[in-house]
Amino acid sequence: MEFLDLIVNVSASTLRLATPLILVAMAGLLSYQVGLINIALEGLMLIGAFVAVVLGVAAGSAWTGVLLAAIAGAIGGAFFALFVTDLRADLIVAGLAMNFLALGGTAYLLQILFNVQGSYTPADFASLPVLDIPGLSDMPFLGKLLFRHSPLVYVSWIIIPLTAIFLYRTVPGIHIRAVGEDPEAARTVGISVRGMQYLALVLGGLLCGLAGAHLSVGDLALFRENMTDGRGFIALAAVYFAAGRPRLAALACLLFGFFEALQFRLQTTSNIPTQFFQMMPYLMVVIMLVAISVRKEWQKG
Amino acid sequence: MTYLSMQGITKYYPGVVANNAVTFEVEQGEIHALVGENGAGKSTLMKILYGLEQPDAGQIAFDGQQVSIPNPYAAIRMGIGMVHQHFQLIPSLTVGENIALGFETRKGLFVDQKTVNERVQALSQQYGLAVDPTQRVADLSVGIRQRVEILKMLYRDARLLILDEPSAVLTPQEVDTLFDVIQNLVQQGCTAIFITHKLREVMAICQRATILRRGEVVGTLKVAETTPTEIARMMVGSDVDTVQLTSESHPGPLQLQLENVSAEDDRRLPVLKGINLSIHGGEIVGLAGVEGNGQHELLEVLIGLRKLRAGTITIGDTNVTAFDGRKRREHGLALIPEDRNHEGLSNDLTIWENMAVTRYYRAPQSQGSVMRIGRLKDAARDLMKRFDVRATSHDTVVGTLSGGNAQKVVIARELADTPRALIAAQPTRGLDIGAARFVHEQLVDLRNQGVGILLISADLDELLAVCDRLVVLFEGRIVGSLRRQDATREQLGLLMAGRTTEQAGVVS
Amino acid sequence: MKQLQEVARILVTLALALIIGGIIMQLSGKDALNAYQVLWNSAVGTDRAIADTLLKATPLIFTGLATMVAFKAGIFNVGVEGSLYMGAFAAAWVGFTFIDLPGLALITLAFLVGGLAGGLWGAIPGYFKAWFKVDEVVTTIMLNYVAILFTEYLVLGPFFVPGMSNAMSAEVALQAQLPRIISRSQWNPSFFIAIGTFFVVLFMMRRMTLGYEVNVLGTNATFARWAGIPVRRLIVLVMFISGFIGGLAGAGQVLGVHYRFVAGFSRGLGFDGIVVALLGRNSPIGVLLAALFFGALRSGAATMEMFVRIPRDLIDIVQALIIFFIAIDIGFGWLRRRRQAPTEPSEPVAVAPAGD
Repeated sequence: MEFLDLIVNVSASTLRLATPLILVAMAGLLSYQVGLINIALEGLMLIGAFVAVVLGVAAGSAWTGVLLAAIAGAIGGAFFALFVTDLRADLIVAGLAMNFLALGGTAYLLQILFNVQGSYTPADFASLPVLDIPGLSDMPFLGKLLFRHSPLVYVSWIIIPLTAIFLYRTVPGIHIRAVGEDPEAARTVGISVRGMQYLALVLGGLLCGLAGAHLSVGDLALFRENMTDGRGFIALAAVYFAAGRPRLAALACLLFGFFEALQFRLQTTSNIPTQFFQMMPYLMVVIMLVAISVRKEWQKG
Repeated sequence: MTYLSMQGITKYYPGVVANNAVTFEVEQGEIHALVGENGAGKSTLMKILYGLEQPDAGQIAFDGQQVSIPNPYAAIRMGIGMVHQHFQLIPSLTVGENIALGFETRKGLFVDQKTVNERVQALSQQYGLAVDPTQRVADLSVGIRQRVEILKMLYRDARLLILDEPSAVLTPQEVDTLFDVIQNLVQQGCTAIFITHKLREVMAICQRATILRRGEVVGTLKVAETTPTEIARMMVGSDVDTVQLTSESHPGPLQLQLENVSAEDDRRLPVLKGINLSIHGGEIVGLAGVEGNGQHELLEVLIGLRKLRAGTITIGDTNVTAFDGRKRREHGLALIPEDRNHEGLSNDLTIWENMAVTRYYRAPQSQGSVMRIGRLKDAARDLMKRFDVRATSHDTVVGTLSGGNAQKVVIARELADTPRALIAAQPTRGLDIGAARFVHEQLVDLRNQGVGILLISADLDELLAVCDRLVVLFEGRIVGSLRRQDATREQLGLLMAGRTTEQAGVVS
Repeated sequence: MKQLQEVARILVTLALALIIGGIIMQLSGKDALNAYQVLWNSAVGTDRAIADTLLKATPLIFTGLATMVAFKAGIFNVGVEGSLYMGAFAAAWVGFTFIDLPGLALITLAFLVGGLAGGLWGAIPGYFKAWFKVDEVVTTIMLNYVAILFTEYLVLGPFFVPGMSNAMSAEVALQAQLPRIISRSQWNPSFFIAIGTFFVVLFMMRRMTLGYEVNVLGTNATFARWAGIPVRRLIVLVMFISGFIGGLAGAGQVLGVHYRFVAGFSRGLGFDGIVVALLGRNSPIGVLLAALFFGALRSGAATMEMFVRIPRDLIDIVQALIIFFIAIDIGFGWLRRRRQAPTEPSEPVAVAPAGD
């Protein structure tokens, strides 16, 4: 019985921890499909986390915070798009700059606004309420596992098929993929390459904002300096691992979430270092990329 | 009635007139061949028609109306469609998605793929272009992809189709199918412009042919009333103005030999098919041929950048087939590549750095892994004098030089230590007359010193002026070999356009 | 003339970033002029301030040079951070394992093994790029995380020291700990190793065949291939050297500052190297100056935070602004050629006249 509880607990926290990863991975997926390596995910997510808690407190509602975080993320995405399209900045360098700006800017404002260093926990501010799905949340085991989560967890589940449908069934989605694969060809049929790049990066920024909001107001209401802690890059790994396929990327995020959950569990109960497992996904991405290239080269002869 | 009329089209590029007052007219319902050598101006004219380029002068009337065509999108909306040699398809999308791309039937935000696919099916039946709209383009053969391209244009209601060398990428069987398709299209009311340099294709399916040469129209002929010989003659011009620069040759020992050399292109299709070529010291062998018949791959094979499927390459007495480029150069090979800005020079580096690239690593220019920069600079200064490179100093960045001077840097480097064999690819491309003459003189000089030279050129005048012997490359094969004194432009033109030696009347 | 222009450009970039930084301070109700004065004084005002600046600059010189060497060859190596971790752990391992060696020998060995570990780590993505054309940006990003987690695993697992609460290794032998040069500052001789590395890189780029090959490859890879330069081997070698210098950075931090390997200690020193290389316009001397500049900002910022209560994170903002400016600068032609996002050209693409 205890063992079953353990499994349910670890699985539930896997889902919880995978949530921001999934949201950011879907953002990374949009960039990937439009043909841009987006390393600014990390920074955009951090901006979302900050905005959600700070403006949420100001507005007195975590929900408002979430909404504004999404908007802030989208604006950040547009800002990034401005650099990589209109200003023709180098993608990686501009992404690096975004991340530095988000990291430095949030930490700076934290001290200027609240006079605190490192982390900020607002008093008298409730995070998003746990949303029990009526009727289902009381099921044994499954109820706790699947239906007693913070609202953004459910949102992340919906976002996966939405992203897939958007990319594979809608006009702008197909145009995004066309631009990512062959901008020249897309241009000749009248598709605006720049427009699609903006669209993908703005929508991605929005998702990053949501992901950040989940970190800062999803379960506990607090902001820590650099609280995204490399999640943007984990999501990027998931995207490349899945070679841009939404469901596979989400699955990879679950795997990453599981490793994280396991780490929390093992940290408290034993001394087994989990880093070895945590690094596997990154290693797998490298192996995948090499395998794909080897095949391509081999076909070329 | 004239369906398309392009009047007085002129287009300048820096230093070149690509189209000079070209007048081109197409009747409704015909297949009209647009014929010419490389650089004759065919592509420029069609790019103007498709809105990819804007003319500097001239007018276009289409279907009875004066039109201006600012971009391809506008051309498509008028009913003009172009099938490029390089397909404009997105491999990971399906056939149906590709065909409708940019012109989707929508249901709100969604693509109504069902309606699209039904229409594709209907079109595909109507025109006999069998495709499965749900297949991914990535999984299709080149021939089928071309069909998708054509359907894509038909889906956009194109009534005038421009086909840019459509057979270049196809197997012979696929070409036959393509011809059936084109004829079927025309029967259903389309009009086609067929860009080609292959006379067989002109004779097989076209009603009329317009021949371009050096940016000007030489004439428009009814195919039924002409012969391949006449078209070939019009393509390459007459014999009047070539002056041979060389005296009688006295071939010496064999310097470069290719035996049965075969290779594949990047898509793993055979591109060189058993090339045999012997170049002796003291002779210049010209390799004629329309570009895209394997010249580039041949160069890569010679310098060791492309693997051989079969065959051997010998320099002097040494079999160098297994050697890399550097080792081949050390055995006396020198090469002037076709594209000096990409393959021949680094425009961001200085003259001396560009000249040093073949010898910086050897004594006495370097000692161990430390370069003797003074020596390399001295050598560069000497070479600049010897080859008349005009620049302020050897520290001048190559990107700031004129085309002629930049080419002289390449030539100086390659000829610095007299090689056994020199391969010169398009060595005068983009140069003015003075610079071109300088290059020709250098080649002839070198020949008289006993070097074996292979000159690859798309310019028949150049080949006839400096070569002792001429061979023609067509679809990866050497299809003819003639002595200079026996060669006529007409014969060469026919061979380059795919006629056999007998058809071209070659005695050799 | 051209160099003068370059210098002017860099100065304008810096001035703009600092001005905007000042505006941000003013907007947050601080006295920007005063703040910059404090920053300046605490960066170079006293011996100790200068020592701290040089201390902060040390890893940046290494990682800046490491990144620059790869950039020069046209390779976008984002993986210096990973090499730094591998080098740091390897140096620490030498330091706490071969404790019977005399000081100088142990220190030399630790730096060499650190460099070697970093170099091999860098050579892996180099090999993939050279032989299979695997894009180095994504692989090096991923391998950074592998290195960070792997070294953390090592100190928590195989090299776990009982009783240690944080993830860190044992201390390196006393004789391997680089001494502090002046009191009250951690400034240590690894700075001089960085300067030595600078001269080696300078010599390599200016005088050695290898540097020449790197220049040819970086300015035109196609030409390098046609000219017969063994490009594949060169790519792997360049990545090895880049990683080697990154490894030295790690070794310097371990032997000079922490005296042990601490998991996650770098916090982006490798990424800072990218900024340094970019600001230094990809030239060795530029990198040295840029590293000193950021060293000064970093060390000054700490004092500024203390005395005028302006968060040191302001420096990250200034750094971000500098990168943004660099990113859009037209001067970085090679960068633009390499990875420009495909966008609509403002005018029709020029077509080679002869290509029909």
